[in-house]
Amino acid sequence: MAPWLSSGLIYASGLALTAGSITLLYIVTRTFNFAVASMATIGFYVVYTGVTLFGGLPYQYYPFAIIIGSITGIICYYGLNRRLLNRKAAEITLMMSTLGYDLVLLSLIQMYADYLTYTFKLFPRRVTMSLFDFEIFGERAAAFILPLIAIAFLTILHFFLTKTKFGISMRATIENPTLAGTSGINSDRVYLVSWVISGGMAALGGSFMAMAMTGTPVMGMYTIPLMFAGAILGGLGNIYGGILGGMVIGLTEYAGVYILAKNFGPWILGYRMGIPLFIMAATLLIFPRGLSGIPLGKIIKKRFGQKRGANV
Amino acid sequence: MITKESSGEKFKGFIASRIVFVLAVIIALLAFLYFSRGISIILSILIQVTIFSIITMSLNLETGYTGIPQFGRVAAVIAGAFAVGAIPGRIMAAFMGLPAGAEYASDTVNFRLVPQINALLASSWLISLGFLVMCLVLAALAGALIGWLISRPAIRLKEAYLGISLLAFGDFLMWVGHNWSIIVGGSTPVNVPDPFRIFGADRFNVIVPVFFVIAILIFIYMNKLTQSPFGRNLRMLRDNDLSANAAGLNIVKVRTQSLVIGAAIAAIGGGLYVIYTGSVAAIGLTRLTFTFWPWAYMMLGGIGSNIGVFMGVFLLTILRTMIIIFRSTWFGFLLQVGIDPLWLEYTLLGAVIIIVILFLPHGLVPEKVAPMLPANRVKKVMAQRQ
Repeated sequence: MAPWLSSGLIYASGLALTAGSITLLYIVTRTFNFAVASMATIGFYVVYTGVTLFGGLPYQYYPFAIIIGSITGIICYYGLNRRLLNRKAAEITLMMSTLGYDLVLLSLIQMYADYLTYTFKLFPRRVTMSLFDFEIFGERAAAFILPLIAIAFLTILHFFLTKTKFGISMRATIENPTLAGTSGINSDRVYLVSWVISGGMAALGGSFMAMAMTGTPVMGMYTIPLMFAGAILGGLGNIYGGILGGMVIGLTEYAGVYILAKNFGPWILGYRMGIPLFIMAATLLIFPRGLSGIPLGKIIKKRFGQKRGANV
Repeated sequence: MITKESSGEKFKGFIASRIVFVLAVIIALLAFLYFSRGISIILSILIQVTIFSIITMSLNLETGYTGIPQFGRVAAVIAGAFAVGAIPGRIMAAFMGLPAGAEYASDTVNFRLVPQINALLASSWLISLGFLVMCLVLAALAGALIGWLISRPAIRLKEAYLGISLLAFGDFLMWVGHNWSIIVGGSTPVNVPDPFRIFGADRFNVIVPVFFVIAILIFIYMNKLTQSPFGRNLRMLRDNDLSANAAGLNIVKVRTQSLVIGAAIAAIGGGLYVIYTGSVAAIGLTRLTFTFWPWAYMMLGGIGSNIGVFMGVFLLTILRTMIIIFRSTWFGFLLQVGIDPLWLEYTLLGAVIIIVILFLPHGLVPEKVAPMLPANRVKKVMAQRQ
């Protein structure tokens, strides 16, 4: 595997999870979650703490990252989001409230980094997580394991949403909250579960991304535009669209930088953030509702299928 | 009719009492700081207040009055800062026969050039004044250009999409400045010629009133603008864009105008900030300082209220400064476990946003929708018509 492909796969699976987390929360609660930035960083620090203090591989600490991320989600729901949803606050207000929560979390992360430095004499402000990785077939193991974990996570999520009773009631709430409420679905619980899942996804995604990039306390803060770009590219209407969008954004960033730097020289590396943003802007101009807005079914039917309905 | 009028009177009285109360708190805190730390801390607070109130007022025009979720305020600030960092110094250098091309921004040349320009500026107050005006005009032009550029794709998008695109654009501009060393030196900061050098040791004491006057002028301009028919259009667009469109308002045009004016004013704020600090480092113009802090100021002060914005900036700047100067005395317990109390600034920022949203949704000074003409004059006009 080319080095850009292995790093790109790791990074893209992380971005896919975080973008999926943003999309899931947006379609359920209409909240654009800024706090994903800090939740991702928290996930990374949970894994870092485990690896440096207790040893072992990063992968065995992922469950803890998911749990801590879910807890931050629960706190945000009960402390903030629930009251605003009850008040029927505007979309921008919901967005700003998560921004405030994100900044509080960011300050706690910074303090935690200080604490780690002082008490355990670690260097948590510039971390290369891939040092703790091992190799398979001469490649970094993360390039195989992380996409697999991401796929497994998404499969479980898919079965949860389509096969379990609660998942179906969750989808019903997404489709039509009022109707779901009248048919006896507890929307409060649906919102809570969506915060739990998206918190866990964000933390897991952050710990993935740290395997491909330098882990810092402001890691999430620098990558949040890309997470949002992934979610927006996916169209914000469909959780699988968000995941696909994150994957596309992550892979094109690595592939694009690799190709451009090869042809134009290394100065292009500094502008790497421009590539995914350009892709997002271009896609939005052609498909204003993102990737999931592409009428793929219609196109296929038009080309290969028969016309439905009374063809008189 | 009577009840409506009296409730309006009551609302006015309520706002006035709020303003007086907040002002009293601000003055008390300032007095406390003055007696414990001296005048210099007051001056540094005032300078931050002027710069950030300009930036926040421009944010208020776009978000509070027009309803655009401007999460990319930093883009216009960066445009102003880059314009002041890159262009006026080059013009002066070319004028004096010094190197003014790409090499102006390289750190080995720049640190020798700027003192020569400063020496010329210090020799005549006319040149200094002209330089300051040139800086501000260039900053406003650059900001307007960026605002127009942003408005092109932004017009098509809606609420959250728009906010995120603006945020991404602001970040991207910062990285461009950080990597493209021709503009402002890339990763090494570029010095800005100092139009206040002529005052020597009194530089700081002069900057504060000058900036304050500029801020007051912009405040008056904003008040006039938002009370004018244009301001009415903006509010109409914010409250219901469909009905505004149905009433014959050209939504795209009004939005573009609001974005361009707001960006030009924010760029003036960015230019003043750069003149005050004396150097431009692209990496220092962060989203946190120039987008999120202004948002917090605006939300605390009251969205859609210019005087409220001013109070919000004042109050929060004082609190920020207090965290910085009392960090070892008040937060010594954090230092004992190795935590830098400066991070509490972020906590304050986040907590203010959360508390305002939960308990004070309209801010300290809520928006007051005043009629364009005073009520007695409206009555007179009506009487004349009949």
